[in-house]
This record gives sequence, structure tokens and C-alpha cells, in this order.
Amino acid sequence: MSKNVTNNSKTIEQKIADLDASVEWFYGDDFNLDEALPKYQAAADLAVTIEKDLTELKNKVEVLEDFTKS
Amino acid sequence: MNFEGFDGWLKVKDAENNLMTEKPMSVSEFIEQCNFTLETEYDNVFVEGEVAAFKINQGKWVFFDLKEDDSSLNCFMPLGQLSIALTDGMKVRIRATPKVTRWGRFLLTVRQIMPVGEGNIKKSFELLKKKLAAEGIFNPAKKRPLPDNLTRIGVISSTNAAGYIDFLKILDNRWAGLDIKTINTQVQGMAAAEQMIRALAYFNQRTDVEVIAVLRGGGSADDLAAFNDEHLARAIATSRIPVITGIGHEIDESLADLAADVRASTPSNAAERLSRDRQDVSRHLHLQISNLRRELRSRVDVALSENRQRLQDTKQEILQHLERNMHHLAETQKILASLNPENVLRRGYAIVTSSSPGRPIAPGVEIVITTSTQNLTAEVKNVQERH
Repeated sequence: MSKNVTNNSKTIEQKIADLDASVEWFYGDDFNLDEALPKYQAAADLAVTIEKDLTELKNKVEVLEDFTKS
Repeated sequence: MNFEGFDGWLKVKDAENNLMTEKPMSVSEFIEQCNFTLETEYDNVFVEGEVAAFKINQGKWVFFDLKEDDSSLNCFMPLGQLSIALTDGMKVRIRATPKVTRWGRFLLTVRQIMPVGEGNIKKSFELLKKKLAAEGIFNPAKKRPLPDNLTRIGVISSTNAAGYIDFLKILDNRWAGLDIKTINTQVQGMAAAEQMIRALAYFNQRTDVEVIAVLRGGGSADDLAAFNDEHLARAIATSRIPVITGIGHEIDESLADLAADVRASTPSNAAERLSRDRQDVSRHLHLQISNLRRELRSRVDVALSENRQRLQDTKQEILQHLERNMHHLAETQKILASLNPENVLRRGYAIVTSSSPGRPIAPGVEIVITTSTQNLTAEVKNVQERH
């Protein structure tokens, strides 16, 4: 597994985008109370995961070429 | 006896004898031999001097003399390889290959050239800046913004440079999950510009980076001279992938900076421009969830309030309906009461019924008279038609 991809194969940016979409739903026309509570719980869990990723994940550095030698 | 002088005399005598016996070379063979020796022994010579008699012939060839006091060297290079602005009097450093022409003229074929000294660098910078600006190379309208939320960064820098290390450190402190691909190049010296141009071309042939960062920490004007290379500036300006530069310090401005889509003041600043701050994002996440909780509570309150109102309205409707029905019932009861025969009897009337239902009323027939208080049995004495 690449260092910059979390255990469910989504990058932090993708997870943040997912969270933003979830949040938008609460302010949109599709909002309904029946779905609101599970969606809120999912959003809160996602926020916790993102924060954990931000703490645990590392940046990956790779030197592709060395042009000083040629 | 002086043997050194004797040796010398012997060599001259040998040479005089050889002149008659050795097979001579043709002029062209000799020039060819000279050039072979020069190319193999002095392939890359680095010479520093002052430019004089600078000229461009046929729009293709650059000629100038490299001077120092009374010494002078003829220099030549294709115009396409000239990557700085030259003027007479400018001190430059060149990498060149010496050569003897068919006419016996000794000259240096210049491979690379760069100005030397702060004044000359600045002069060359200003001339090139004017030229490239006139061509629209620095046109602000052509600048592209950095992509949002980028994760794949291409870096062109010296991997040993402090600026590069600072860049990585700041990125690590600020954000996680970035994929950084680096090409190690020199960032100062004569080969630096050409290596960085190759690195730009390399990244532009790939699709795995979203932005290219050209980085170098602070240094003297000489150290940073490679970033004023005309070809490098053009390569940056025409890069398919957006380029950010973080070169030197805040006060340093290079042609590479001017040509880039985004100019960061330092490598550290470039790292800041390319990454989000995890602390900010964390704060934003908390705020987002807290707002969401508030929104949800507000929505629940609204829904509850609406339901309460609806219940209240329904209750009101039922009560009104009930009241209407009660009223109707009372009216009906009044009507019914008014129609009650007992009430008629109480008003003094009586009900007369035959004791023998079905028999015509005739004298002698027994009838029952009901009053409000009594039932009287009587006999019909006479029957008289009213009509």
C-alpha cells in the first residue's frame, strides 16, 4: 500500500471531498430527517478518520533521475 | 660543461637532419592533427574574460573576443546556444572547445556562457528581461493557478541543497500523503540551466505530476545566475505543467521566477504555497462537524415545532368539528322536542284513536281519547263529514 493512500484506498483529499459532499447534503433540498442521523454519524466518523490520517500518514519522496551524473 | 645546452643543440641538429628525411604533412593534415589534439586534450576548457567586438552574423552566428589586458581569444557559437544577453565589456565565463580553422585561425567554440560578477549578471538580466517581456514570456495573462488539493509534485533541485531539505521539511510539517518526485540537478554553475531544462522536459513527457517546483536556496548573484538563463526561462514559460519557483531569498528575482506561473519567495514558501496546513484542516473539520450538529439540531427543532403545530391544528379542527356537531345535535333535539306529541297534548290537545283499527268510524264505535294526563274511552254518537 502506498504511503499516501489510506486503508480504504482513498487519499486524504478524496476523503475531504466526500466529507464536503456529505455536509452539503445537510444544507440541500434532499435533506430529510430519516436519513440525517446516520449521515451525520458517517460524517463525524469520516472527520475522525481524516484527522487520524493527517497524523499518521507520511509524504513519499522519490528521486526519479540524477541529471548531475550525465 | 653545461649539458642542458648541449642537449638542446643536439635536438636542433636532429630536427635539421629530419627536415630532409621526414615525410611532411599537408597543411590540412596538420590542421586536422592540431584539432584532433585539441579536441582530445582540451575538450572542455573554462575561460573567464571580458567580451569585446560582440556581433551576430547572418542572424545565426555569434562572434566575440574574450579579452584580458593585452591577451585576446576569438570566440564563436551558434546564436541558438546563447542563453544570456551579451554586450561588450561584460565579464563572462565560458566552457569551450578550442579549434583551428581551415585558415589557421585559432578560436574557441563556446558551449556554454554565463556572466560573472553582480554588475554583469544584473546587466545581462535586465537586457534579457526586456527582450523576453517584449515577447510576452512573462505575460501575467498566461499564468496558471496552482491546482487545488494537489497530491503529486515534481521537484527540480539539488537533493543536497539546504533549500530542498527545507522544502521537504515544511511539506512534512504541513501536510501528509503527498507524492513527491524529484530530479536531482545542479542549481548553480554552467551545467545547471541545461540540466534543469532537461528535467522540465522529462516531467512534461510524463503525466504523474500536477505541478513542477524549481527550487534553490539563497546564494550570491553568481550562484543564482543559472536561473537567468534565457532557455530555462523559455522552458518554464512553455511548460505544459504549471511551474512554481522558489529560488533564493525574497529579494532575489530571476528570469525563471518571472517566467513561472507562480513565484514563491523561497523554497520554504514554495512548500507553503503547495500544501495545506494540517492544523487549519483539523480546525476546519471540527468546525464543520460542530456546524453540522447545530444544523441537525436546528432541523430537528424545526421539524418538531412543525409537528407540534400540525398536532395543534388538527386538535383545533377536531374540536371545531365536534362543536359543530354538538350544535347540530342540539338543534335537532329542539326540532325533535317540538315534534313530540306529548308536548302537543300538554298544550291541551288530545289524540283520538279507534279501539277497533280498520273499522270505519261510525256511531256506536268505541274510541280512545288520550290527553296529557288521561286516557278516556268514549263512544261515537254521530259522524258528520266536514266537506
